[in-house]
Formats: sequence, C-alpha cells, structure tokens
Amino acid sequence: MASSVAQKRLFHEYKNLSTNPPEGITAGPISEDDMFHWEALIQGPEETPFEGGVFAAELKFPRDYPLSPPTMKFIGGGVWHPNVYPNGTVCISILHPPGDDPNHYEHASERWSPIQSVEKILISVMSMLAEPNDESPANVEAAKMWRERRPEYEQKVRDEVKKGLGL
Amino acid sequence: MTDEEPSLNIPSLLTLAVVSYFVLRWFFNRDESSAGGSRGRGRGNVVDPAQVEQIAQMFPQLNTRDIMWDLQRNGGSVAATTERVLTGRGLETPPPSFQPPVAIPPTNIPLAQTATPVQKADAQDLISRYNLSAKAESPATESEPEKPSKSSWSQNKEERQRILQKRRDDMILAARRKMMQKSQGNV
Repeated sequence: MASSVAQKRLFHEYKNLSTNPPEGITAGPISEDDMFHWEALIQGPEETPFEGGVFAAELKFPRDYPLSPPTMKFIGGGVWHPNVYPNGTVCISILHPPGDDPNHYEHASERWSPIQSVEKILISVMSMLAEPNDESPANVEAAKMWRERRPEYEQKVRDEVKKGLGL
Repeated sequence: MTDEEPSLNIPSLLTLAVVSYFVLRWFFNRDESSAGGSRGRGRGNVVDPAQVEQIAQMFPQLNTRDIMWDLQRNGGSVAATTERVLTGRGLETPPPSFQPPVAIPPTNIPLAQTATPVQKADAQDLISRYNLSAKAESPATESEPEKPSKSSWSQNKEERQRILQKRRDDMILAARRKMMQKSQGNV
C-alpha cells in the first residue's frame, strides 16, 4: 500500500524530470521495474573546479518515500569534496530526515520533508559542489585540503573530473 | 489428605501436558528453523564466489549483490544469469533483507562499506561505465546537439528508458568533447 504511494510519486517525479529537466541534470530509474533505484547525472557547476564534469550518482528510495528521504551516493568515485564520504555517499541536510539532526546545525527547513523532491535534492547537491559546507565534513581529508590548501584541492578535483570523463 | 492427592494430580498432569506440549512445540520449531537455516546456508553455498566473479568480469556494470541474488535463485547457474543479462532482462534487485551468502569482499573490507562490490565495479570512468567508448571515439557524435532534446516523454516504457539513456549518454559525451576541446585549446 505505502509502497504504491511511493511508486506513484516517484513515477510522477520521473515524468516531471524528463519533460522539464533542470539544467545540467538527468535522472530516472535504472529500470522502471524498480522505481526505488535511480541513477542521476549532475553537471559540475560553472566557475568551480567541478566545471565541465559530469557526475553519476545512485539514489535509493525507502519504501515510505516521500516520508523518508532517499540516500544518494556518487558512483565511479572521483568526487573529492568535504561533504561527500570517500565511498561516495552524499552528506547534505536535505537528505536528512527532519527529526534527526545529529549535528545540531541544520534548520528544520533545510532538511528532508515530503514537499522536497528529487529535483530539489539534485539542485542542492549541485550547489553543494560549488559551496562546501565546512561545518560537518564527511571527508575530513578533503575538508582539510579545501580549507588549507585550496589550489591543491582544486587541482585534485579537476584531475578527477577528467578521469571521470575517461580523459 | 487422600482426597487431595487425586485433585492435585489431575491439575498437575494437565499442567505437565500443557508444558510438555509447549516444550515439544518449541523443540519442533527450533529444529525446523535451524533446519531452515542450514537449508538456507546450503543453498547459499551454491553461490560460488568464483561464479560471481566470472559474471562480474563479463558484466562489470552489474551489481555484485544482484548477481548473487540471481545465482542463488537459479541454483548457481552462470549460464542462466548470463542469458538473462544478455537478453536484456537485467537482474532483479534483491530485497533489502537479502544477505549475500558469501562474503565477497573478504575480511579486509569494513562493515561500513557493505556496498563495496558495487563500489569496486564502479571504480571506473563514465565512458566505460555506460559503454560509451565507441561513441566517444567516433567523430560523428560531433554533430549531435549539445543539449539533449527536452520535454520528451513517451507512453511506452521501453521508449522512455531509451530516451533517458540517450540523454544520459549525450550529456556525458558532450561534456567529454567540451573538455577535450578545452584541454586542446590550452596546449
């Protein structure tokens, strides 16, 4: 029952994202047989070291979506970013359920709620790439590099971007 | 005293009967569940890590967990799984409760990375991930529009899938071309 609600909602979001895709974003289920498992491509935001890159991520939705948020994980590696765990998992407030704020720095309005959407998540992740949140680094190494050795950080990101495109 | 003995005996016999019924039932259930467990393990043993590896090598894009799930369900037939993939049916995503019966990432991988098989298969660029190397090399793609066509939605499921895939491929190839031009410009 609940999962058919989720499926309908996901299908609806898929349709919206296909007919009216936001700039630099492609997303949809890997196969429509499983609406709970998506793959998304995000373009690196301009005027950042991620510019020109394309990043693939998988989104896994819970059965009670949209009550609970999906998880998002970059695949193929290569997203060197303070808010992305070394295994690719994205750590961003919109992916955190409203009740749960282990870090005590997020406003409830920034966190997940059913009025959010896949599109909003992907747009948030895009702006996260441009502006790391230094308060709760998921990748401590990357955060440190970003803070202390910015040119090195940017070079590393640019290298990873090229690698990701097979260059 | 003599009156009490039988009246004591009957309830205690009844109690004994009830208790032994539950004890037996407990034993029975336990046996059944442990038998089920060993059956599960037995079936699990069918998933040979070598087979998983074999399929993963043929189809690096596949999720190891999906492979194990499929192998477990078809009784460990590499051929059947391969066939399934080749006919384009793809593998089913196992239910979240599915515990891969074999420890594919052996010991040295910490628990936090249960998705490691995926990750490992993913440690590649987007070109190889989406099998775009042929398209990436062919100059014909140059003529493709930079921006994939918008507002495309088909009533047909396969068609939708195809459109999405094309948008994905185009996005990657366009980025790659742009990046190549840029780095050539820099040289």
